[in-house]
Amino acid sequence: MKAAAFLLVLFAGVAQSHGQQPVDGARWLEKIYNATQKLSYSGTFVYRRGEHSETSRITRLVDASGDVEKLEALDGVPREVVRKGDEVRCYLPESMTVKVDRRTDRRSFPAMLPAQISSIGEHYTITKGETARIAGFECQAIVLTPKDALRYGYKLWADTRTGMLLKARIFDDKGNAVEEFTFTQLRVGGNIDRRRLEPTLRARGKEWHIENSAVFPVKLAESGWIVKPALPGFQKVIEVRRMLRESQQVGQVVYSDGLAAVSVFIESIKGRREPVQTGLSSMGGINIYTREVSNHVVTVVGEVPATSVQRVINSVEYRRPQ
Amino acid sequence: MKSNISALMDDELQDPEHAAPLRALHDDETALQAWREYHIVGDALRGTRVLSADFSARVAARLAEEPTVLAPRRVAKAVDRNRRWMTLSATASLAAVGMVGWLAFAPQRGAVPDSVPLAQTPQAVQTRPAEARPVPLPSGANDYLLAHQTYSPRSGLQGVAPYVRTVSERGRPR
Repeated sequence: MKAAAFLLVLFAGVAQSHGQQPVDGARWLEKIYNATQKLSYSGTFVYRRGEHSETSRITRLVDASGDVEKLEALDGVPREVVRKGDEVRCYLPESMTVKVDRRTDRRSFPAMLPAQISSIGEHYTITKGETARIAGFECQAIVLTPKDALRYGYKLWADTRTGMLLKARIFDDKGNAVEEFTFTQLRVGGNIDRRRLEPTLRARGKEWHIENSAVFPVKLAESGWIVKPALPGFQKVIEVRRMLRESQQVGQVVYSDGLAAVSVFIESIKGRREPVQTGLSSMGGINIYTREVSNHVVTVVGEVPATSVQRVINSVEYRRPQ
Repeated sequence: MKSNISALMDDELQDPEHAAPLRALHDDETALQAWREYHIVGDALRGTRVLSADFSARVAARLAEEPTVLAPRRVAKAVDRNRRWMTLSATASLAAVGMVGWLAFAPQRGAVPDSVPLAQTPQAVQTRPAEARPVPLPSGANDYLLAHQTYSPRSGLQGVAPYVRTVSERGRPR
């Protein structure tokens, strides 16, 4: 009994000292996440992928009555995304549609606990980079270099004072940027009128057509679907059934390694108006693979390189339930 | 024609000259006989091991038994330029492979249904795991993207900013 107690104290001591000396880069990561949860801000940022670039305005207000965020596209076709607590509404005036989604599982919301950061550290090397001045803020760069070729790398520039993320670059195994977000103007804190966070796109005399995602948890294995992505470090985050368009029911399984997520969508081929194009398409740091499996369309959307998305879609199988 | 058959075997013909002897092999029994004889002679000269007499027939019969892997696909009526390009190149490569397949089984023409070479050989062309065939973004890509971004850990770093990663509703990425 005495030996066991001694070992317990020893382990506890080791665990505590480990927690007291976190990796410097990991501490910065935690600072960025805390800032995203707690800060109110408004600013303008540029999103770049390849030749394409576009400017957007983003506003966030955190106060006693909850947190609200709004994204407005300033280039091209107007679009707006408004998040109030767990509900996200996307206003798409081209089709006069509002797509409504809700985060059903609190645990799936990526709140950053120290345990999650340490699991990121298993698959990415976290280091401090240079300091830089961005949009008038003195920033510290943090680099997350993947330990394998299955994921992208991240370089994050955070304001040294508040931890606010000013710039993020996602890069591939050759060091080329696949995606970049940069604030060109930012104000942290200050008086933000809650009315500014209401959607501004006018309905132009017509009614917005509302599409609800109607998400509920499900076990796709019960319908015969087997998904074994074989991506080290990626854990299943959530498994739901939802509406994708007005009438298309789809199963969705999401995997994540703490930084990147991969969604597997499975839907019956009957709802499809157009034939399935099997193959890979890319959009900056997002790769999408589409394939037909047993009269269903499987679509994998991943914030990971094409080879990883391919690996996931090849692991999707259907076995008719007995 | 016999000298052309011989030249075809020895790979001495330039591209447009293939057409006539190939047509002859298909249509003309004597040309086919010449093809068989030249091969037997060639095998004998090289000391190649002789396969059993009905080898080709048995292989062809086994192939005919195998289920066709490719399910017929509905082809969209409106085909945009990119898709047409890919269809042409795919057809060209299928035709090339089909041609090789046909020639291998030509001596036993009676046992080989015309559709077999083209239906079977695409399996080899299509299941290359290393190369991913690039396609345009799927129809309704926005819906997948939005549903995906709900659960992306990027919201913990950037709030709703990553939602800017959408496509124009006409299907072209912005």
